[in-house]
Amino acid sequence: MLRRLVQIAVLAAALAAAGCTNDPYPAADKGRKVLYSSFGEVPKTLDPAVSYTTSEHVITGNVYDTLLEYHYLERPFKLVPGLAEAVPEPEALPDGGQRYRFRIRRGVRFHEDPCFDRARPGQRTREVTAQDFAFQFARLADPAINSPVASSFVQLKGFQDFAKRLAELRRADAAFARLPAQEQYAKAGGIAGVATPTARDLEIVLSEPNAQILYWFAMAFTTPVPWEAVAYYDGREGRANFADQAVGTGPFRLAVYDKQLRYVLERNPGWYGLNPDAADAPGAVFPTAIDAADVAAKRIDPAYAGRRMPFLDRVNFTREREGIPRFNKFLQGYYDDGGIIKESFDAIMQGDRLSPAMAARGMRLDREVEPTIYYIGFNMNDPVLGTKGGEGSRKLRQAMSLAVSTETFLQLFLNGRGVPAQSPLPPGLFGYDARYRNPFRQPDMAKARALLAEAGYANGIDPATRAPLRLTFDIGNTSAQSLLETEFLVSAWRSLGLNVEIAATTYNQFQDKVRRGAYQIFRWGWVADYPDPENFLFLLECSNAQAKSNGPNTANFCNEGFDSRYKAMKDIPNSETRARLVKEMLAITETERPWIELFHVEDFTLSHAWLVNSKPMGLSYPAYKYRDVDPAMRERLIAQWNEPVRWPLALLIIGVIALVVPAVRTYYRERT
Amino acid sequence: MAAYLIRRLAYGAVTVLGVLLLLFVLFFAVTNPDDIARKAVGERARPEVYAQWKTNHGYDKPLFLNRAYGSGEARHYTDTLFFEHYRSMLTFDFGRSDADDTPIADRLLRGAGPSLSLTVPLFILNLAVAVGVGLFVAFFRETLLDRVVLVLCILTMSVATLLYIIAGQFLVGMLLKWFPISGYAGDSSVIWRFLALPILVGVVAGFGSDVRLYRTIFIEEMNRDYVRTARAKGAGDARVMVAHVLRNALIPIITNVVIAIPFLFTGSLLLESFFGIPGLGAMTVEAIQGNDFSTLRTMVYLGALLFILGQILTDVCYAVADPRVRLA
Amino acid sequence: MILAQNLLVLAIVLGAAWAARYAARERNWRESARELWRRRPVAIAVVAVYVVIGLLDTVAWVGGGTPEDPMAAYVPRTVIDRLLRPEARREASYSAPFADTAFYGGAPLKHPGSHWLGTDILGRDVVYRMVKGVRVALLVGGLTSLVAIPLALLFGVTAGYFGRRIDDAVFFTMTVLSSVPSLLLLIALIMVLGKGPVQVCIALGVTGWVHFCRIARGEALKLREMDYVAAARVLGVSDFRIITRHILPNMAHLVIITFALSFTGMVLTETTLSYLGIGLDGSWGQMIDQARNELSRTPIIWWNIAAAAIALFALVLAVNLIADGLRDVIDPRTRKERT
Repeated sequence: MLRRLVQIAVLAAALAAAGCTNDPYPAADKGRKVLYSSFGEVPKTLDPAVSYTTSEHVITGNVYDTLLEYHYLERPFKLVPGLAEAVPEPEALPDGGQRYRFRIRRGVRFHEDPCFDRARPGQRTREVTAQDFAFQFARLADPAINSPVASSFVQLKGFQDFAKRLAELRRADAAFARLPAQEQYAKAGGIAGVATPTARDLEIVLSEPNAQILYWFAMAFTTPVPWEAVAYYDGREGRANFADQAVGTGPFRLAVYDKQLRYVLERNPGWYGLNPDAADAPGAVFPTAIDAADVAAKRIDPAYAGRRMPFLDRVNFTREREGIPRFNKFLQGYYDDGGIIKESFDAIMQGDRLSPAMAARGMRLDREVEPTIYYIGFNMNDPVLGTKGGEGSRKLRQAMSLAVSTETFLQLFLNGRGVPAQSPLPPGLFGYDARYRNPFRQPDMAKARALLAEAGYANGIDPATRAPLRLTFDIGNTSAQSLLETEFLVSAWRSLGLNVEIAATTYNQFQDKVRRGAYQIFRWGWVADYPDPENFLFLLECSNAQAKSNGPNTANFCNEGFDSRYKAMKDIPNSETRARLVKEMLAITETERPWIELFHVEDFTLSHAWLVNSKPMGLSYPAYKYRDVDPAMRERLIAQWNEPVRWPLALLIIGVIALVVPAVRTYYRERT
Repeated sequence: MAAYLIRRLAYGAVTVLGVLLLLFVLFFAVTNPDDIARKAVGERARPEVYAQWKTNHGYDKPLFLNRAYGSGEARHYTDTLFFEHYRSMLTFDFGRSDADDTPIADRLLRGAGPSLSLTVPLFILNLAVAVGVGLFVAFFRETLLDRVVLVLCILTMSVATLLYIIAGQFLVGMLLKWFPISGYAGDSSVIWRFLALPILVGVVAGFGSDVRLYRTIFIEEMNRDYVRTARAKGAGDARVMVAHVLRNALIPIITNVVIAIPFLFTGSLLLESFFGIPGLGAMTVEAIQGNDFSTLRTMVYLGALLFILGQILTDVCYAVADPRVRLA
Repeated sequence: MILAQNLLVLAIVLGAAWAARYAARERNWRESARELWRRRPVAIAVVAVYVVIGLLDTVAWVGGGTPEDPMAAYVPRTVIDRLLRPEARREASYSAPFADTAFYGGAPLKHPGSHWLGTDILGRDVVYRMVKGVRVALLVGGLTSLVAIPLALLFGVTAGYFGRRIDDAVFFTMTVLSSVPSLLLLIALIMVLGKGPVQVCIALGVTGWVHFCRIARGEALKLREMDYVAAARVLGVSDFRIITRHILPNMAHLVIITFALSFTGMVLTETTLSYLGIGLDGSWGQMIDQARNELSRTPIIWWNIAAAAIALFALVLAVNLIADGLRDVIDPRTRKERT
């Protein structure tokens, strides 16, 4: 009896072990040039006029081409031509405006798609014209589309007029509102500042000079969009919504889009970069100017210099909700790249570099400080903390700023993956000074206590109530992690004697508080749209205040000196004057302390040895056309890394036998 | 019988109306559609976008009675949230998700497959294990084996499901590397690799309470006179257990089974969300995290609807199987 | 607020004392209690310890600020807070059980060897956090039931006893509430009401209420038909008296067993809610949720999750064992079978 039981158990275990594998992919894909990656957040929309998050840009950045692109290898970031033949120079206009002329490359075609067939039977695709760009600009202006970046184009001549005309026509005439978008735009007269003299020429006219506008042409917001696709994908009669569809011109097309589960980018055989005359197109050929440091780090393989892109057949993205399973699958070799989770940081890293065990696997680490700022903000309209409190409140803010140690925060929660922020500006931006140390961002409890006493709250005691000053830290996130982080921040102020309470509510409740202005302290972050200081400093400009215009200046910071300098520096090219203005603005935020700047995130990306040519690109979209994989090496290493650890099973089986056998034996004894 | 059936169905229908009333109170009176709209379009959206969103999602109507009727603006007095809520739910026209605008019906259809592929095998295996072990233990009752299993049941019942999942992923996924730690594939050639681990965890997590339940049922049956008679007549132990005890215990077993079947469709919240299976349970979890009230509302409604159907089915089964049940 | 808390503790203690005296007078109850104590001494002791901790963690007062914890002079601190002194024994970050140095980096601890279960990421003592979880668990399982039971008894018994319209109304409400799967109902309620201890308890109470009410109604229906109740009615005893004298006492054992079962159910459900981010602050579920990722750290950090899991497991197991024992002791059917 006993022997038989053991036999059965061993047999079952052996059978199970033989048939089992943790490989998540079908065997048919072995040996093909497929890059495996993962995504956590489900894309909300792929409409290039609307999509604004990294999770969406992974798709839109590869499916849609742009007129300009960022150079893949050069830093600081530099714009190179994409669909345009050259990066245009601004022309000054007599009325004080500015004009940019783009010439579009020959032979750029949209992906093959059924939507073109409906417009003209038998047609599978068509060539891109300047009108497709104009159509997309009209969509950016269209109030019904609600583009999150519409306000960035207000200097485009006639942009707001067009939006207004469109809204009025729709209100006045119900029949007009039911017309297809392209007909509505045509009837409304289009945007005055977007002209298409020929099918290959696009002219953009600004009402006043703007040095930053070109960056927007390297983003999918300004990609050519075929009106056929917008008309066809209307969500009716079984057709998808345009938000779940991507008909672009890019090197990849969206082959599978099951957004809860996975999506697949597939090489586009009709890409312009494959045309014979595209041999000199910067967007179609791997750059030849390769940095020696990139080669030394094995990040870039110099053998690719000058080769025509793309190299991959497919890019396969699998949904991973949680970081830990994703990271474990990366370690098992089933994802080609991935970030480091904080739990495994100490096993992966040793000091500043990869641990020997990981380096021996051929793994590569890429680090990059992202153009981001995370900060704690004060509501400057609050009577206790804000402007109304005058000098006392300022000192209170300064004291609170002195108590928070970003270094410790980074160590505890991000394994030190970040740069402690001294000002709102992240490294790499014009006006950033690496030597600058903000006197109120160097943790100093003694100085904080002294300032607190000067502010009228000696030892944190509010003279009005004779109890510790009560403040509320509002967070709109109830996750365990966010609660821990907030607890850390608050504990520093508590040790000053301030009674800071955490009000953790759902995002809805938090938004409601923000709307009513009923908040004191909050935490927020900002990721740059483009590498310019203006894109950070506008977060503190008065006309953007939450209380005034529902704008992104949630701190409601209003300072005349700051605002006048902001206006002066906003649209001028980088120069000494601009540097001086930025410096003066930072000096104001230094003493006024509307924010306690926390950190700029440093991104750590791991890649396996079989993935080459992946260089982090903080700002721009992850471009898969540059990357390549070695499937044979991948298969070999995966087999080597996935040997099961069997002893826990043996232990479990022994445990079960130890439980069952005596029980059965007693039973037989008791019966006989 | 027909009269009983009709009465039972009528009561079920009234219950559904009651559930809808409950949902209306919760989702329209206690929460404010304005909040939902603001979250969906973003804080900084222009007012016309906000209004447009509310119109698209049907949140712009008055609560109970449309007083604008007659002025040409409204279709009818009943063109209100209250009646629209009843109409849409009763006609299974669930509208669009508050979070990402996808039609909820689409997501339900897409999520049902993964959910069923997890819950059906899990349910069958769970039942087989629980009935099998329950029968076995009932047979060996009052011995050490029985006591060991009982203690095991209480022990396993006292552990939170969350911990089973964490332990399962660690042991089987990380150390043994038998199956992927999590994930799902539409591809039928690899699908079982993904399902094996969650099913295993599910069986272990459900073991305690189910085995104990069936053991009690079987022991109650074994204490009846006919079992003693059968034994006295010299029927073998195994024969008595299977032919008599198991057969007569079928009614309580069926009750439990029929009531559980509707939940197969709503999926398992924890298992799906932890193992990354894109079913209805995971969809519910995402709705919770994304403040997607329309999806949540639909899921609660469907859960209740299926439960009510299951109960009607049980009652009818009872009436058919057991003539003693009064058809009153 | 503090006063109400302390009064509540007093009320619970007095109530328990009254119930014990009442039960001690009845021979039946006295014997059952003795039998239960004989069968499950350890489980009862464990639950008693939890209850005492929970009560001690509710009695709070303001005063006695120390240099490490100046806030105590203004913000109430409970007996447990004062005994375990979390602010005074705080470290910088993780440390292992009984360790003398920090887990990462190996810097010497401020209070070496004093953390029996180590410290968490913020350097908070895990024993303290574990002990603080007791009150939350009792609140979730116990207080909710204590509020839900009387209400459920009121509605269930009146419905079952008087029947007709009252019964129809109560039964319909019950059917509606119970036809929504309980986890979904819970989630919907919390989502709608908002996150917070009161809201979570209300939601748990509403879902638990139905269960109690159904049982109370069924039992009242059965008892109503009993000979002695009929006899009392013929003798002209008032309905109120019949309910309090004849019906309620005969339902006590059912109430106790159901209470024990729903207690464990609620405590376990709370862990699921915590995972969904809508649980109670300071609960073991939240500790597990915060700590589950720490298992993937290398070297592994196990004490956080182990402390919460064991504390949870011990309470639920003890209550389960008591419920199991109670059933054997009180339920006449199983009692017959056992002997």
